[in-house]
Amino acid sequence: MTPFFEANRDLLIFSGAAALKVLVFMGGIMGFAALLTLAERKVSALMQDRVGPNRASVFGFAFNGLFHPIADAFKMIFKEDFMPARAEKLLFTLAPVFALFPVLALFAFIPFGDYVMVYGYRLELQIAELPTALFFVLALSGLAIYGTFLAGWASKNNFALLGALRGAAQMISYEVALGLTLVGLLMIYGSAGLQDMVRAQGKLLFGFIPAWGVVYQPFAFILFLTAAMAENKRTPFDLVEGESEIIGYFIEYSSMRFAAFMFAEFIEMILISMLAATLFFGGWQVPYLYETGFILPGGKALALNHYLVSALQVGSFTVKTVFFSWFLLVVRWTLPRFRFDQLMGLCWKVLLPLALLNILVTGAVMLFSGKL
Amino acid sequence: MIAAAVYFFGAVAALATLLMLFQREPVKAAMLMLTALLATAGIYLALSAQLLAALQIILYAGAIMTLFIVALTVLPQAWRDHPEKKPFLKVLGLAAAAIILTELVKVSAVLKTVLRSTDFSETGALALAQQLFGRFAFQFELLSLVILASIVAAVALAAKRRPA
Repeated sequence: MTPFFEANRDLLIFSGAAALKVLVFMGGIMGFAALLTLAERKVSALMQDRVGPNRASVFGFAFNGLFHPIADAFKMIFKEDFMPARAEKLLFTLAPVFALFPVLALFAFIPFGDYVMVYGYRLELQIAELPTALFFVLALSGLAIYGTFLAGWASKNNFALLGALRGAAQMISYEVALGLTLVGLLMIYGSAGLQDMVRAQGKLLFGFIPAWGVVYQPFAFILFLTAAMAENKRTPFDLVEGESEIIGYFIEYSSMRFAAFMFAEFIEMILISMLAATLFFGGWQVPYLYETGFILPGGKALALNHYLVSALQVGSFTVKTVFFSWFLLVVRWTLPRFRFDQLMGLCWKVLLPLALLNILVTGAVMLFSGKL
Repeated sequence: MIAAAVYFFGAVAALATLLMLFQREPVKAAMLMLTALLATAGIYLALSAQLLAALQIILYAGAIMTLFIVALTVLPQAWRDHPEKKPFLKVLGLAAAAIILTELVKVSAVLKTVLRSTDFSETGALALAQQLFGRFAFQFELLSLVILASIVAAVALAAKRRPA
């Protein structure tokens, strides 16, 4: 070994592990987002009794439309990249970056597994192990609004600006409700670290119920999912786009810049699914699975290899994420769009008071059960 | 390493603020201010004050700047391609900036000695909450009165325009 490697051993291993985690996790998310664009069309086709996209083929094999995301990417790349003459050039260019960056950066805080021992090194399956991760989740999701807003404003198009203003109003409002729904969880777990929260959810309640967040905070889960869907700006909350009236904040965008906005929306769906799984459904936890293997409530045990346990945990997290993504797709193709006053009413008159009530009840229960 | 990061984010914040002062278009000025706020959060992060950085982004970049920008966009000034030049306003702005600068220099002269002595380490959410709801509970609750007053004012202003 070279002296340089010897001297910087820990730093090099840390950087290498971090790079590896980013590559694997982010690569997986990108691939999943591409598949989601196909799943979106397939789900809509299923609901409308159609077949859906099934024509893009490689050497005559179409695999029921599996190549459509790739074909779409090629199409987007070769489209004309149009910019309105009066547009603010710099901000117009920056807007897709602002839309994509916060949602991508947020994945750094999400634990996708417990840890893996590799050659005696403990590899945490989370890119950034912050004790204040939940605050950063809120902070970065608050920045997502600038992508929407800048796109609408820099286009110098009235329809785009209307979309952007609607987006700003909607996202500020639901941001408040979203943050308040998570306060109950903070109180129960006493930590803002997402990995700590997931580890706490590995316990059992009354000896047989997995102590998942949804068991303690079922109400907050519903509120969180509603607010998160509104933040995502998809039907029934897609007034920002409203195809039949204002088309949306990215009306002037084409080619890959448009794709960035669309992709950001799909990535945000994955993010919401992962957050819902992490905060309320035990993250990577599998019921009754511990570091050494399965231990059922009756006392029966099944010893498992460390790597098998880790694979099961990452698999469990993946299954939960896929489930919530599917749920979001189904909701999007089931419910019609709200009216704007209904949207605002739902946030300020329903979600916000209920979230505050949830905090009050959680605090009261904690006080009287002596947990405080 | 830490010092380099602090100086880098500090330089970005200072540069963005300077550019903001000489920017005539309101929305662009707001974006520069956002850059300055985010760079400040970067300084906190470099000093490993994670909670402070997160709160800085949530409150200033996420909430206050967004409201600023929305308010600015609905102003007619944001829609003019070439904003009018008003020399009087320029003098007024420069005078205000000079006053703020002297005040800041006065304040920072005191702070310099304080900062060196205080260990600027990670403040946990718990410690912050204990201060806010324990020692400063009365002042904290008093603040909500200010917000209440502004809500009442906003409602009063908005209600005026509505036809009876």
